[in-house]
Amino acid sequence: MNNRAHGRNLRRLAVLVLLAVLAAAAYMLVGVKFSNEKLFLYAMHIRAPKLAAMVITAFAIGGASLVFQSVINNTIVTPCLLGMNSLYTLIHTAVVFFAGSGSLLAVNANASFAVDLVIMAVAATLIYSYFFKKTNHNVLYVLLIGTVLTSFFSSIQSTLVRVMDPNEYDNLLSTLVASFSNINSEIIVFSLIVLAAVIVVLRKDLALLNVLTLGKDQAINLGVDYDNCIRRLLLGVTLCIAVATAMVGPISFLGLIIANLSRQLLKTYRHGWLILGSVLFGVIVLVGGQVIVEHVYTYSIPVSVFITVGGGVYFLYLLLTRQRV
Amino acid sequence: MFIKEITKKYDGKAVVDSVSFEIPKGKVLSLIGPNGAGKSTVMGIISRLIARDAGIVDFKGQDIGKWKSRELSKKLAILTQSNHIQMKLTVSELVAFGRFPYSGGRLTKEDEKIVDQAIAYMELEEFRDRFIDELSGGQRQRAYIAMVIAQDTEYILLDEPTNNLDIYHATNMMKTVRKLCDELGKTVVLVLHEINYAAFYSDYICAFADGKIARFGTVEEVMTRENLSEIYQVDFEIQMVKGKPLAIYY
Repeated sequence: MNNRAHGRNLRRLAVLVLLAVLAAAAYMLVGVKFSNEKLFLYAMHIRAPKLAAMVITAFAIGGASLVFQSVINNTIVTPCLLGMNSLYTLIHTAVVFFAGSGSLLAVNANASFAVDLVIMAVAATLIYSYFFKKTNHNVLYVLLIGTVLTSFFSSIQSTLVRVMDPNEYDNLLSTLVASFSNINSEIIVFSLIVLAAVIVVLRKDLALLNVLTLGKDQAINLGVDYDNCIRRLLLGVTLCIAVATAMVGPISFLGLIIANLSRQLLKTYRHGWLILGSVLFGVIVLVGGQVIVEHVYTYSIPVSVFITVGGGVYFLYLLLTRQRV
Repeated sequence: MFIKEITKKYDGKAVVDSVSFEIPKGKVLSLIGPNGAGKSTVMGIISRLIARDAGIVDFKGQDIGKWKSRELSKKLAILTQSNHIQMKLTVSELVAFGRFPYSGGRLTKEDEKIVDQAIAYMELEEFRDRFIDELSGGQRQRAYIAMVIAQDTEYILLDEPTNNLDIYHATNMMKTVRKLCDELGKTVVLVLHEINYAAFYSDYICAFADGKIARFGTVEEVMTRENLSEIYQVDFEIQMVKGKPLAIYY
């Protein structure tokens, strides 16, 4: 990278950091009564875990989406293709259907998080490690499997919903939208541990990302163990998405938006920069969105609605403006 | 480097059938033949991009599968036609990737010097900060060759380097190939469709037909009317131009 582009990217990242900090400050402080110490501490106690959850989600989704796009070598794929969203929806529907909305699994946030994470991790390992080997390391087959599984999970889910008690369905519906209200500090600590473990295990593969984007032939030419590297990264990406989804619900569509915003802003191939940009955009969108949801719409519209609507428009824009896909 | 009885089958049909030959060191070797004759597959196998079903690819006394990929990439470079980069990458950044086998992601002063030399050698100085996807086909191909030069390998394998280039750029590409061999002492193996480029610019020709070697030899030995007619199943005339046998076909 030449010095001018380097300086430009540095300035842009600084602006992003500033915006993210502003959003976080707004989220923590808007509407708080500073005069009463007890009320102030109570507000902090409520808001701090939510903010932490949003930052972790932004980190997991932003980083994972960018890596996912580079692994697939296509910048308009969304990590929704991995099927974790519909698996989450299915798990929660099945829990309410078989155990009832009053059962421990449905009511206890920790239990529900644990069940989600274990099932998703097993599914991810099976699909993105085992099948990837089986199909001779063909990424497109694996994506196809993901797409088919997505509709498979959705079909089972809609079947369950059709024969479900309408009152139970009403209860269920509120848990199927991404929200940050069910977060507690245990879940946050556990998510952080899983994410840190993924990063430590994959640190060598992450360092190869720049070379991987040259394509399979060039990466092998330059001495990269391509197939195994891709397999490990794909598994890591899925685990990150699984952690974020288990924590807040179906939200991986966000990844498409923030990864592409980052690519558009920082015209570079360096993944360190791109991932940082993607995470910062994630924080700005999630935290800023949450401020609007809580203070302008007073919780009547969940933040995922904004993300889906805004993301959909942005996705169309990407499709229409790209010369070659 | 030699290849012994390599075989590759797709769905039980052998596309490369027990092929053996030796790559002459310090020379330019062209692999020619009709579509589907197996030349590109052979190239893929020697460069470890395609897995073989049987046979040996011996590189410096050791099978290519036993080499550490990173070590091999300091000795052997391959350039294929499947180069679609989604990233915003400038010419100098691309060429710098050629140093990856030596220094990972971090360039040393020595690496930077080699990158600059490679860019200068391919006369790309004025484009060095341009993005790859904004270049013309010929310029992009030169940038990739510069990357291969920066990789500084003894052996260079090029899969159809003249594909999609016009006559001007294709001819310049072939002159570059000759220079890589004569000036830089590289051993170059290339897959070519245009047999006259093979005849004019290479030392040896290996002609494939139906997954087997039909002829292997010096340009003069292979480029005869009988050989070419047999390999390509069309009529040929051979004319000597500047001491090289060129083929006329119609």
